[in-house]
Amino acid sequence: MDSITSKILYNEEVAPGYFRIGLEWKGVLVLPGQFVMLRVSDSLDPLLRRPFGIYKVLNPKWVKSAGGYRGSGIELLYSVVGRGTIRLSRRVAGDVAGLLGPIGNGFPVPEQSRNKEQKVIMVAGGVGTVPFYLLADLLGADSALLVGARSKEVLALVKDFRPLKCKVAISTEDGSVGAKGLVTDLLKEEIAKGGPSVVYGCGPLGMLKAVAEVSESLGVDSFVSLERSMACGIGVCLGCAVKGTEHAARPGRPPEYVMVCSDGPVFKSSEVEWSRL
Amino acid sequence: MKKNDNNKTGNNKAGKGVTKLPSMAVNVAGLKLSNPVMTASGTFGYGLEFAPYLDLSRLGGVVVKGLSPKPRPGNPGPRIVETPCGMLNAIGLQNVGVDAFIEEKLPKLRKVKTRVIANIFGESVADYVLVAKKLDGARGVHAVEINISCPNVKKGGMSFGVNPKEAARVVRAVRKATALPVITKLSPNVSDIAEMARAVEEAGSDVISLINTIPGMVIDIEKRMPVIARGIGGLSGPAIRPIAVRMVNEVYNAVSLPVIGIGGIMNASDAIEFMIAGASAVQVGTASFVDPQAAEKVVDGIADYLVRHKMSAKKLTGSLQK
Repeated sequence: MDSITSKILYNEEVAPGYFRIGLEWKGVLVLPGQFVMLRVSDSLDPLLRRPFGIYKVLNPKWVKSAGGYRGSGIELLYSVVGRGTIRLSRRVAGDVAGLLGPIGNGFPVPEQSRNKEQKVIMVAGGVGTVPFYLLADLLGADSALLVGARSKEVLALVKDFRPLKCKVAISTEDGSVGAKGLVTDLLKEEIAKGGPSVVYGCGPLGMLKAVAEVSESLGVDSFVSLERSMACGIGVCLGCAVKGTEHAARPGRPPEYVMVCSDGPVFKSSEVEWSRL
Repeated sequence: MKKNDNNKTGNNKAGKGVTKLPSMAVNVAGLKLSNPVMTASGTFGYGLEFAPYLDLSRLGGVVVKGLSPKPRPGNPGPRIVETPCGMLNAIGLQNVGVDAFIEEKLPKLRKVKTRVIANIFGESVADYVLVAKKLDGARGVHAVEINISCPNVKKGGMSFGVNPKEAARVVRAVRKATALPVITKLSPNVSDIAEMARAVEEAGSDVISLINTIPGMVIDIEKRMPVIARGIGGLSGPAIRPIAVRMVNEVYNAVSLPVIGIGGIMNASDAIEFMIAGASAVQVGTASFVDPQAAEKVVDGIADYLVRHKMSAKKLTGSLQK
């Protein structure tokens, strides 16, 4: 993890309300599912850095020993939702921005740690597609991306995944694209196809809860990437605490709470107290 | 890199010859600091977390997260929310407990050449005394800071901080329990800060630090619920700085003890403002969340200022012109 002043290489709207920003970061090493804390402006208001999932690595080179991609910079994909992202959307190429990261554990990469035969089912809610691009690129046909969204905005989110070998399925609440309904219906179908699989989720809390429940009921392990308000990103403000189940025994740790930034953002679903979130 | 920048500034100002950097050292009631910049409790973990980002030995001192007799899990989330030019937190004094601090954190901190100030907290006077006694014999702890001002816990904390008699009771007991310099951290949540300062001075505190956070609330208007789970949290950041500067000045004028200024310091100019108001040293808090290198940048900026004004850090304290 490093704290740098990065140069903005590009910052452009890819669909109404969605932007992609390129940030220079020579030699950066990114594990799929990691995030950064970005200073959206030098102003005191908004004061705090914002967490953003890393979408792509610029000029990526897979480093097998590290389980990550090395590159010359990173790309973030963000939706404009509040004061911080409005500010960020106005910044232009050539500006500089404080960047801290890459932060967190990321999703387990099957090539590294487990059965290579295992199919990875990635479930994204809206812009929750972000931490899955690197994984989908790496795993290709051994993976499936299921995306749930409200409506047609989903097309902008899946566009970059189309050229990959990863299978993509879509559900929308209004049925305008893909299946009408919830993404967990797609998940049930995908798991039912059989073969060993593992589920990774990123999106709104309600969706993650449903993903964890569906996976558990069908006997499949699941991992979720959690989001919480955080100030520092380095495990000291203790703001992003989540009630954990199995982490309590960690040596030198206060009991019960785990930090999304320094213990996560990816947690095994069974390690999170969902009723307390 | 930063050090060279300072020398350059110094050379420019002094013209030819070797520049002598004015003294940055301060002596805060026996606590000797290489410069007046410390970190504020609760914003700097146990210090070691920041080692990748700055040189801990360049800081005047490191104030660690508040320590209680037993580990505390802290409050349920959400614990923080951003506010205009600040943030609200209700962490609930989550900490590893004094024993784990001494056994696991302190040995590593000892290797870093900085002053370590242990912030202590309890639910009763006996708790404070117990923690203070344990730290008294711990090699590598240079002072204790009594937290009588945390707004985020049910028992103890601020109840000691808003009543002069209660505050004096804690301070007197801790004073007896340790040979280390005793710093008392005051709450701004009182009508007369000078009265509080006089009470802890009389009770034997060596130093006064202020301010802790100001209780505040943020409401989610869609849910019509407070954003943080506990409802009320402590406001910090640049939003509270003018209140803190005013209170530091009031305390400086009310007592003869050295004062440590805390409250929304984001850069050297902010720190210098506190020193002019009467602070012998300062603590950088929320800024370390925004930029993990913030405290070291404050050291550099103060050095630049002292060179420019040809004065020592000591002379800066209380130099407010009428």
